[in-house]
Amino acid sequence: MSGDAAPLLTARCLSKLFGGVVALDSLDLDVFGDDILGLIGPNGSGKTTFFNVVTGIYPASEGEIRFDGRDITNLSTQAIYRSGIARTFQRSRLSLPLSIFDNIMIGNHKRLNHGLWFNLVRRRAFQAELEENVATARELVRIFDAPLSERLLDPVGGIPMIDRRRVEICRSLISKPRLLLLDEPSAGMTGEETRLLMDDILEVKSRFRDLTIIIVEHEMGVIERITNRCVVLNFGQKIAEGTYREVAADRQVQEAYLGME
Amino acid sequence: MSERGPANTAATVPHTRNPLPALAVAALATAFLITLLLVESQVGIAALIAGAAIATIAAARQGLLTRITAGLATREDLLGALCVAGVLVVTVFFHEDHFVLLMVATLILFVVATLGLNIQFGYTGLINFAGSSFLGVGSYTAAVLTMHTALPHLLVLLMGGVMAAAIGSLLLLPVLRTRGHYSAVVTIAFALLFKTFLEVNDILGGPQGLAVAGMDLFGWSFNDNIVIGDDFELSFYANYVLLSLAILVVAFIFVRRLDRSWIGLNLDAVRLDETAAACFGLNILRWKITAFTLGNFLIGVAGALYGMMLGFIAPANFTFGDSLILVSIVLLGGLGNAWGLVVATAIVVIIPEKLQAIQEYRFLLYASMVILILLFRPQGLIPRPLRTYFPGFRTR
Amino acid sequence: MDVGLFAQYVMNGLMLGMMYALVAVGFTLFFGVLDVIKFSHGDVLTVGAFTALATYLGLSAAGVNSPVVQVLAIVIVAGCSMALLGALIARVLVLPLKNAPALNTLLITLMLGTVLRESVRLFYPEGANPKPFPSLLPSDALVLGNFNLRLDSVLMLAAGAAVIVGVQLLLNRTKLGLAIRAVAQDEETAKTMGINFTLVVLITFGIGSALAAIAGIMNGLYYNEINFGMGLLLGAIGFSAAIVGGLGNIYGAIIGGFLFAMLQTIGAVALPFASAYKDVFAFGAIILIMAWRPTGLIQEKISERV
Ligand SMILES: Nc1ncnc2c1ncn2[C@@H]1O[C@H](COP(=O)(O)OP(=O)(O)OP(=O)(O)O)[C@@H](O)[C@H]1O
Ligand SMILES: [Mg+2]
Repeated sequence: MSGDAAPLLTARCLSKLFGGVVALDSLDLDVFGDDILGLIGPNGSGKTTFFNVVTGIYPASEGEIRFDGRDITNLSTQAIYRSGIARTFQRSRLSLPLSIFDNIMIGNHKRLNHGLWFNLVRRRAFQAELEENVATARELVRIFDAPLSERLLDPVGGIPMIDRRRVEICRSLISKPRLLLLDEPSAGMTGEETRLLMDDILEVKSRFRDLTIIIVEHEMGVIERITNRCVVLNFGQKIAEGTYREVAADRQVQEAYLGME
Repeated sequence: MSERGPANTAATVPHTRNPLPALAVAALATAFLITLLLVESQVGIAALIAGAAIATIAAARQGLLTRITAGLATREDLLGALCVAGVLVVTVFFHEDHFVLLMVATLILFVVATLGLNIQFGYTGLINFAGSSFLGVGSYTAAVLTMHTALPHLLVLLMGGVMAAAIGSLLLLPVLRTRGHYSAVVTIAFALLFKTFLEVNDILGGPQGLAVAGMDLFGWSFNDNIVIGDDFELSFYANYVLLSLAILVVAFIFVRRLDRSWIGLNLDAVRLDETAAACFGLNILRWKITAFTLGNFLIGVAGALYGMMLGFIAPANFTFGDSLILVSIVLLGGLGNAWGLVVATAIVVIIPEKLQAIQEYRFLLYASMVILILLFRPQGLIPRPLRTYFPGFRTR
Repeated sequence: MDVGLFAQYVMNGLMLGMMYALVAVGFTLFFGVLDVIKFSHGDVLTVGAFTALATYLGLSAAGVNSPVVQVLAIVIVAGCSMALLGALIARVLVLPLKNAPALNTLLITLMLGTVLRESVRLFYPEGANPKPFPSLLPSDALVLGNFNLRLDSVLMLAAGAAVIVGVQLLLNRTKLGLAIRAVAQDEETAKTMGINFTLVVLITFGIGSALAAIAGIMNGLYYNEINFGMGLLLGAIGFSAAIVGGLGNIYGAIIGGFLFAMLQTIGAVALPFASAYKDVFAFGAIILIMAWRPTGLIQEKISERV
């Protein structure tokens, strides 16, 4: 899969410091098109920080990130989103008082017309764009859960955790990103729910042909099932890389996890 | 201005389009308003207000209120038209009563101003504790322009809004660089600065204030009573009621459409989670600037007409306390709910005018009321419903 | 400018700075333990000053005329009752909103400030008018050229400094102070260490509010007049001073208070013709400071955890 093609995302010598804490330490990482890359490591090893630096929430302290051949280091979050990277958050960050549809549309920002005139005066045109987006959103949600796609106007605050996760993933997918970053999508869910969600993610992967996914997970079963390649972080450094079987057999990895226990 | 889309499309399926709830509510509200304004005895007024409060609470308990509001939601245009008709009925009914018509016009202009605050605070989460100051900017602009220039008065109204937006943009840097409650402090400082400045400044009349010319619309002088036929005379305040009503209709449609568009969604997203919004490409600054500027513009326009109607303005009209009252209205009505604002403004403007006993205590009362609301019903009297992009919007 | 006049200005600025610092330290304490802005702080100061005045009038009516007793009594009565009021505010209004948006706390305390301010105006006998405040401290003066070094000013400065040092010692040297600092560091950890979170918050709000009462009394003794609106200005300035110092940092708050007083004094000296604009400049400065350094001069910005 990861053959000789140029990587979609590369990080070179990427470091991030918070005061004295080294959250990322000269990290080199390649993600190839079509990958489902598992990013694993003990708590505090820098996984979320990597996502935050890639998406421009925190500036990198050092190093370079390239996406699709373009240097995106320290671009604004907005520019990075426009270039085709979308994410979910470890602690769910949906807008609870808004409807499912509204939440998903927030993720579609780059494809909507935000002109004052268009929105306020040309209501017919607006309605056409709206209806198109309702249809797209419904299709997308249906991949995950058909009944949910019939309730797009329900407030997100009133739906169960697993559906919130689904909505969050839909919000990231609606803009058709090239790269999707999933930060512990199974956090706080039962084993059965996790399994359902992973089915969904695999289904998404098969439908969106050129989507690349990086997933952070603590459930090793999940990692084994859905990833084709893994990168293991510890104290912000990459300590192993390869298929799940390879990294699981790695001494350093076992020590890092044992050290945590 | 109908928003009814082509029928039977995916997004808008016509469902209950029963006009009865809207008719009933508008008729009831008009009748109640007329009775309230007619009664002179303080006990009678207190009894009326208490009765209305009890009836509302009872209706809420019975679940009637939710049913009514749901029924109204599909006929917003009709409800709006009926409300306009209701105001006209009240105006004709009290046609000779300066006091009542002044109060009605004030009420309408305050709704316009709080609609502006609502864009800032209710939608975008940018709290503005200087609402009354921006009203003052509009009024003082009108005073200066009507006294020293021959600018057509409609343009004066516009300039009131533009000045408020412009002075507001001076505050933008600190407001934008700070988050949440810090930016609130910037507007508090501005409210205190503005009033102090007006008081010590000689050019703008100092503590005594300034005279403002009455509105003159293409030769239609607003400060003359309207005479129709031989014996029907309307108080000149009826002119102001009509014009402010026209402004309100435009402002209201504007704010409702704003809410029911991608822009409204963007403002909500900024309020609810800036970080997440930024990760999906929202330019936080752009939307905050848009909301703050549009809001101040509306407040400024309302202020300009308010000043022209009062005929004389002074710093004491635009205190920090008054700004707090404007904020209270937005909270009371239900953050982000334009219809709720109308109800809340009516309560806050009319009750102290009619109940003389509480006039002196109004700051105290409203402040206590907001405290209770924040503690026990933070979503306000009429909580904002979910966004429906069109009346009767459905996704099935 | 001659030395005497200069000294006069310095003295004036120091007095102002001391009051601002006392108020700012209160803001900082509240922000430290709960991350909230309690905007009724300035009005608590007003209520404290009026409580002190009422106490003084009561004592005079009861025939207690010794200034020493009077001063001690008004400080103790006003300080304790404001401490109680502060704790009550924390218990009833601030803690219940702990999980609501931070803006709600600001709003509710702002409205409470209005309630306090209006209550003084409406319910204190003739509260709408400025009230004369007695000078209870010896007003002997040491004349140095054309500079009068007044004993009362010196006493007040010393008392203010003593109070601030006392708060510092309390925070740094006592078990209670340790608990307050622990809560300020991290609420959860503090709780697991067995610290009674609610109690610590209430005590902190009590201490901060007592400081406001003291600032209010100083204000009354210095200007010999108090009015119901005094707290609004002092609160706004105290808050800005706290921000300048980086909210949550006590030294910063003290420095901020004196810095603000210095700016105001320099403004008054440099632009004597514009003395009417004194408060306009003060508020303008607040806005500029927020634009320039929204998170303060000292504390470095910590990025939000995502
Ligand atoms: N905003 C921040 N400010 C200061 N330190 C931070 C910040 N964000 C992360 N850190 C620190 O950086 C290190 C890496 O944290 P990060 O959240 O990336 O870990 P993680 O691998 O996602 O852990 P987990 O599995 O628990 O989610 C930790 O030591 C953390 O305390
Ligand atoms: Mg993480």
